[in-house]
Amino acid sequence: MKSKLVKSVLSCGLAAAMVLSMTACGGTSGDGGSADSGEKTQLYVVNWKDYASDDEELMAAFEEEYNCEIVNTYMDSEEDLLTKLRTGAEGEIDVCLPNCTILPAAIEDGLLEQIDTSKIPNFEQLFARFKEQKECFGEDGNMYAVPFVWGSTAIAYNTEEVTEAPTSMKVLFSEDYKGRIAFRDDYNDAVMAAAIALGQDPNNPSDLDAIKELLIEQKELNRTYWQTGDEFSKLFANDQVSVGLMWSGQSATMKQEGEPIGFVVPEDGGIGWVDNWAIAKSSQHKDLAYAFINYMLGEDVQYDWASSGGPAPANQTAAEKIDPEYAASCAMDEESLNRLYFMEYRTEDVKREWSDLWIEVKGA
Amino acid sequence: MKFDRRQALTWPSMIMLFLFALLPLVIMLVTSFQSDTTGSFTLENYERFFSNPTYLKLTGKTIVMSLAVTAVSLLIAYPLAYIMAKKLRGMRNIILVLVIIPFFTNQLVRVYSWLIFLQDGGIFNNFLSLFGLFEDGLGLLYTQGAVIIGLTHAFFPYMVVTIYMSLERMDDAMLEASRSLGASKFTTFRRVIFPLSMPGVISGIMIVFVPALGTFVEPRILGGTDGTVIGTVIEDQFFEIAAWNFGAAIAFLLLALVLISMTALNMAGKRWETE
Repeated sequence: MKSKLVKSVLSCGLAAAMVLSMTACGGTSGDGGSADSGEKTQLYVVNWKDYASDDEELMAAFEEEYNCEIVNTYMDSEEDLLTKLRTGAEGEIDVCLPNCTILPAAIEDGLLEQIDTSKIPNFEQLFARFKEQKECFGEDGNMYAVPFVWGSTAIAYNTEEVTEAPTSMKVLFSEDYKGRIAFRDDYNDAVMAAAIALGQDPNNPSDLDAIKELLIEQKELNRTYWQTGDEFSKLFANDQVSVGLMWSGQSATMKQEGEPIGFVVPEDGGIGWVDNWAIAKSSQHKDLAYAFINYMLGEDVQYDWASSGGPAPANQTAAEKIDPEYAASCAMDEESLNRLYFMEYRTEDVKREWSDLWIEVKGA
Repeated sequence: MKFDRRQALTWPSMIMLFLFALLPLVIMLVTSFQSDTTGSFTLENYERFFSNPTYLKLTGKTIVMSLAVTAVSLLIAYPLAYIMAKKLRGMRNIILVLVIIPFFTNQLVRVYSWLIFLQDGGIFNNFLSLFGLFEDGLGLLYTQGAVIIGLTHAFFPYMVVTIYMSLERMDDAMLEASRSLGASKFTTFRRVIFPLSMPGVISGIMIVFVPALGTFVEPRILGGTDGTVIGTVIEDQFFEIAAWNFGAAIAFLLLALVLISMTALNMAGKRWETE
């Protein structure tokens, strides 16, 4: 009897709350255009396309909580982001996602705001490794960026044609898949992959001539060199390629979409990368930018994105929640992590040397 | 000198030209003579270009590719313009619109359409295999051939328009005179029509050859591993390694090439007129 009363009071209350919240919704949408409610703050994010911050479902809670709108601008390479940071107008960029290849340059040029980790509570949950990511710190010892996700560039293969996971980077240089290989048009990945196949240290290769020779020999084995992830998806979906140098993140997305794609970091190694959030020095919304970064590092966003096709989470708590079998299939597991050679910062001279080498390969 | 009010009307366009064409060029020229590391004056960017045979080889490849695109465009554009100007009366405007339609399409959309059309197992391949041809795949995509097709499609309309204009302006009475003086159709074409259309042909060649030298989108996407041209090298310098100084130097050498070829074409055109 008593419980029935409680129940009915509760349900009345609930109904009333629902009605009220609905009127409230109607109210706000009704006068949304009027001057006193104010415009939503816009947070300008420079990021890769399809990279979490443009996923409406993932971002809805953040946009609602802070009454803001995330405006995404897409970058098509790390250098492109550096160019955008250098040439962008005041306030044109709030948050961006540089990796280790451009971070030192961006920090040295004073393009990034120093990060105060006390404003990012979720920072505590990151893997210890990522809290000390070398490239995130400037020469002054201060932190300028926070690791967000990591992943690898290694071998993707069509599971219908390649039944056993390749065990060596050499598969991309072998006649077995002549005409059905998709190598990446990128000087860094090309040199590093060739160095791995030759058993050299990918971050400090000892014999660039041998690398060049191998890449020239490899040229005719390719279907094409791909440049954008979209290009690779189309090649794969149209059954033009069997194996390729590919990103773990995109490979996971394609697997989620039902493509017969497998991804493996071979035993001789793969290329590792970390994407980091940073706040542009000229940002006009720094507090909102901190809130955004904290939200992106949060356990929920990290878990949701990683388990629905995103790259591996830097948040350890989130990483431990992911289904181990799934983690292994997109090389998010610890074993793969330990095989990776994480991309290091390259000086202008090294970049130029490698880029010239790659142009010579392409022009050969 | 007397102030000419009509001349003053050209000032806005002169200012625009200065701000958006000449000034950027000057900035680029200065950049190309700056050192990557110190920012001081240097010739090293130009030295680097000429000391590496790969860059010269790629420049040669780009010139050959552009010549091929120009030749194919001329083969398509001249007959089309001739038919439009001399044979059709009512339909020429419709055809002109159809020719110009590729201009309205975004470049990337156009290139990706060719990609889908030309790929093995694509629309064109499937059509051919209906007749038992190329059933194992066309092998056309990711070759120089595919690049030339894509570029020709993008540029030949310019040539149709310039040739059409010069043919359309031609006085038909001259053709009747030639005919009445006993010249055969072929002789009339060779001795009267073609020489008179030469200005249109030459500006058409210029308007196709010059932009073809600087393209990078079509070669990169349709050319596969063989798609590297001087335009993609410049793009790589700016977007891959932020080597603006070297990129600007190559861009300037390309501009020099353009100016030389335009001068040569102009001289050829003048000689034709005086003959």
